[in-house]
Formats: sequence, C-alpha cells, structure tokens
Amino acid sequence: MLRGYTIAFLIFLYAPILLLPVFAFNDGTVIAFPLDGFTTKWFAQLWTNTELHGALGNSLFVASVSAVLSVLLGLAAARANIRYRFPAKAAAMGLIMVPLVLPEIIVATSLLVVVVRLLDWDLSLWTVVAAHVLICTPFAIAILNASFQSLDPALEEAAIDLGYTRPETFRLITLPLIMPGIVAALLISFTISLDEFIIAFFLTGAEPTLPVYIWSLLRFPRQIPVVMALGTILMAVSILILILAELSRRRGLRRAGVKDGGGFL
Amino acid sequence: MSAEPLIRLRGVQKYYNDYHALRGIDLDIAEGEFFSLLGPSGCGKTTLLRTIAGFEDVSDGSVMLAGQDMGGVPPNKRPTNMVFQSYAIFPHLSVAQNVAFGLRKRSDLNAQARDALVAEALDMVGLDGFGARAAHALSGGQRQRVALARALVLRPKVLLLDEPLSALDKKMREQMQVELIRLQRQVGITFILVTHDQEEALVMSDRIAVMFDGSVAQIAEAEALYRRPTSRRVAEFIGVMNFLPASVVHEDVSIAGLGSIPLTALQGTASTDGAPMVGLRPETATLLFDGQTAPDREAQGTVTEVVYYGDMTYYDIALEGAETPIRLSMRNVFGRPVLERGASARFAWSPGAVTLFR
Repeated sequence: MLRGYTIAFLIFLYAPILLLPVFAFNDGTVIAFPLDGFTTKWFAQLWTNTELHGALGNSLFVASVSAVLSVLLGLAAARANIRYRFPAKAAAMGLIMVPLVLPEIIVATSLLVVVVRLLDWDLSLWTVVAAHVLICTPFAIAILNASFQSLDPALEEAAIDLGYTRPETFRLITLPLIMPGIVAALLISFTISLDEFIIAFFLTGAEPTLPVYIWSLLRFPRQIPVVMALGTILMAVSILILILAELSRRRGLRRAGVKDGGGFL
Repeated sequence: MSAEPLIRLRGVQKYYNDYHALRGIDLDIAEGEFFSLLGPSGCGKTTLLRTIAGFEDVSDGSVMLAGQDMGGVPPNKRPTNMVFQSYAIFPHLSVAQNVAFGLRKRSDLNAQARDALVAEALDMVGLDGFGARAAHALSGGQRQRVALARALVLRPKVLLLDEPLSALDKKMREQMQVELIRLQRQVGITFILVTHDQEEALVMSDRIAVMFDGSVAQIAEAEALYRRPTSRRVAEFIGVMNFLPASVVHEDVSIAGLGSIPLTALQGTASTDGAPMVGLRPETATLLFDGQTAPDREAQGTVTEVVYYGDMTYYDIALEGAETPIRLSMRNVFGRPVLERGASARFAWSPGAVTLFR
C-alpha cells in the first residue's frame, strides 16, 4: 500500500519533467502522442540562435554575481549567528530568512516599485542581481549555518593559542574546513538564480535572462520543441550542479568528522 | 617558592553582565609546578584558566606571567599553550602538520629543524611514526597525545590543560594521568590542570586550588587537602567523610554516638556554615574482630549496609545516639566482606583522625 503510494507519488512528481527530453527528441512540432520519430534538429537550432546565446550569457552573469554576493553575505550572517550572542538575534535571523517563504510575486512587485518609483533607477541585469541576492542569501545562510555549527570553536582558539592572528586563523583553519559548505552554497545559489523567472521577468530591462527568453518563445507554437530541447539541457545541468553541491556538503561533514544529520536536499 | 612566582594573580574579577564568575582570585604558581584547579562545574575554574590563556579579559585585577602584566596581551602573544577539552585537532591536517602548526610561526626554524622538533615531540608522547596519519583517523587517546605534542613542542612557559582526560574511559584516564606526570617531570614546564575529578587532582598535582562559586576555598598539597580541609565544603568535595553532630563543652568535644574527646586530641579544626560537626574518614577507623582490643577508642553498632567494591567494602554502621550511620571502609584482605547486614560490629577509631567543623 505504502509502496504503491510512493510509486504513484514519484510518477506524479517527475512524469511531466521526463516528458521534456521525450519531446525534445521528437521529430514534430505538435506536442502529442504518438511520437513522430527521432531528431536532434531542435538542439541544432539552439546552437544557431544568437538571441538565445545572449539570454544565456545574461543568465550566467546574473547567476554568478548573485551566487558570489549571496555567499559573502551568508558567510558573515552564518558566522555571526553561530558564534556570537547579540540583542534581537533571533528576530534578525528570522527576517533574513523570510524570503525563503515569501511569494516571489510579492518580492518582484515591491522591488519593481522601489527600483522604478522610489529610486528611479533603470532596470538592468544589476537590478535582477540585487533581487536574486535577496532570495539566494537565505539558502546560503542555511547551508553555511550547518558548516559553522559542525566547526568546533576550539579549533579557531587553538590556532590563536598557537600564535596565529585572527585573519590567519580564518584563512588557515576556518576557510578550509567550511570550504565544502561554501561550494555547496555557491552552487545552490547559482541554480536558484539561473532558474528564477518571476523576479527576472519584472526587473529585467532590455536584456532578458534565459527563463524570460524561454517564456517569450512560448508565444510561437513552432518554437515549443526548441524550448523542450533547452529545458532538457537546463534540467541536466541543474541536476548535475545539485549533485555536486550535495557531494561537497557531505565531504565537508566527513572532514569535520561529524555524523550526517540529514542533507539540505 | 622562594623565587618570584611564574604566575601571579591578584584580585581577579570576572563579570558576564550580571553574572559574577570570578570573585577576587589571588594565586601564586611557581615555575615547574603541577597545579590543579579543582571544583564542581560552574565554579569558575575553566574561566580562570582562560583568563590565564588570554581568551577572557579580566574585569578587574591583574594576571602576571613571568613578571609581566598580561593585561591586553592577546592569547597568541602569551607564553602559554593550551590543551583543549575537545583536543581541537585540526581535522584537515595530518598529525605531523598539526604538531608543526605552531612552529611554522617561528621564522628562525627551517623545514629540517621543524621536522626534527615534530619527530621529537611525537616520540615524547608515544606517537613515534604517526606523523603521516590523518588527524580524523585517530582514537580519543591518540588525539589527546597529539594535542599535548602540539602544545609542548613550542616549549611554553605554562601548559594549560582544560579537563584533558574527561573524554577518556577509566582505564585510559588512569594511564594518561601517569603519563602526564611523567611528561611534566621530563619537560619541567609548569602545568595548570582544570578538573572536576578530585581523584585526578590528588593523583597528579603538586598543589591544588579548590574552587566554589568563583572563589578559591583552599590551596594545599594533596595530602594536606585530604587530611586538613579548612572548611566543611572542601571536606565534602574531597573523598568520603562521615559527619557526626558534635558539641563543644569547655575543653572537650562531645560526639554523637562516639562519646567525648579533648579538643587537644583532634587532628584539626575547620569552618562550617551550619551546626558544629566532626568529620571522620572511613579508612581511619578499623573493624575489630572477636578478641581484638582497640589501641585507642572503641565503639559499637549494627551494620545497616554493606557496599562491595571488589578491592574494598564500605560498611555502614548505626551507632546508638547518632541519627545517620557511620561509614567505614576495609580492604577485602579475606577476599570477601567480613560482615553481613544486621550483624553487630565493633570498631576502633582515633581522636587524632577527627576534624572538628565549627
């Protein structure tokens, strides 16, 4: 009974995603069964589409910058959270983590108002970066919290006791030990930013990110198989990145010599 | 302690907001001494150790080390090194890299000289040939040894040990106690040990400071601490002691269940917050067999409990006129306990082993 339920649940969850590669390799513009035969021409079309390349470049830029900024902010916040006691800490950490559960449409709308009306900035990739940092930072903090949690504070004290300064201790002891957490946080933030649509749609100017570009393609039915091909590639890349992130997180736990308390994923 | 003490604490106070963690500590520790800070958890002994290491600032008072005021001197500039309770072995480095870590800060050493010192230190703690091992693959006892080697290789003036044996099992702990004593004699460095285990402190230390509630209650050598506690609290914390209600009348002490003895015959007197009591260690009284006579004083009662420990047995004996039974110990020289519950017992005791608390 439970086994049947589990299988049904997994099919419900993943069948639509599995349809992506099926139609990406289907030789026909209509998304319907029966299939019309095998082709790779949709992938070939991706290769020659310069607009797509521009969108991909925009997305990689936004995702890279957002990931780096989120992890830098996350490092500071997670260290403060685990190592120090200060007034209103719980409230401050709670507010930082809120974007995890806030509907993106609200974040997108309010940011649009702030950027365009109050600050009177032009929309650009940088406004998207700013918003993506907002939603990626809580994920980075969640991962880095765990890294600092499993780091014995006596390790840093031992290095200082042995004659090292605080910056040296951070570089020689803290950083190597939390590096797997940093890598995991970078990869997850990168993936979240890369896939994000609503905020990017609201805040992007003349330069669309990849999800925004894909959405614009959907208006043309003949382009749908191309979207399927693109989706297939994105899916493969996302899965790869998440696997790398998880492996990195586990390596960190092994290195710190602690038991795995359940993965972030 | 004729010369200037290596460590001199004067009026050390420590506050954490409203919490008064150290309440005016005065302490002199001589060079080459094995000194222990002993007390229950929360008594401030670890805080005191960390003020000597420099991890905690003092709120008031001074910490002098080798004649220099340590006020404002950070831990990395102090001639102290610490063995942490968790050992704090760097998990991403090998055993040799861990031991060499502090040496890398010394510019006068080339790689060869460093390796030689590391090898010597590992040999000293019995980890000869372990240098290439990964730190996270070590057992608890081995980590402890690496932590010792890593600190001692720097030849600090003072080695600070924060409950270093508490994570080890009993056998290992007893073995390490002896090894620590040997190491300390070998290197001649001043050791300051923090422990809540009175047995550990008695076994290892030249002198012991017993701490309660942020204050030092007594500083003494092991034997003096055990035999001549200055307060009831110390007497209760160190070993086992029987407490019997007593009253002082003129020049005599009248002890419930044991009778009266002259004040001049006592081992000593100490302070107490409560009613006057006398204290008697279980091993200072001797059970008497039929026909044996006491060289000193004799008493009689009924055995209410027999507690068997393998090598020795505790006998609780109810005395007429005393509410709680008195506990005596005897080594099991006949292989098993000599009395059963309910039997009547006769024992000898000596006024010279009795401490008066008043």
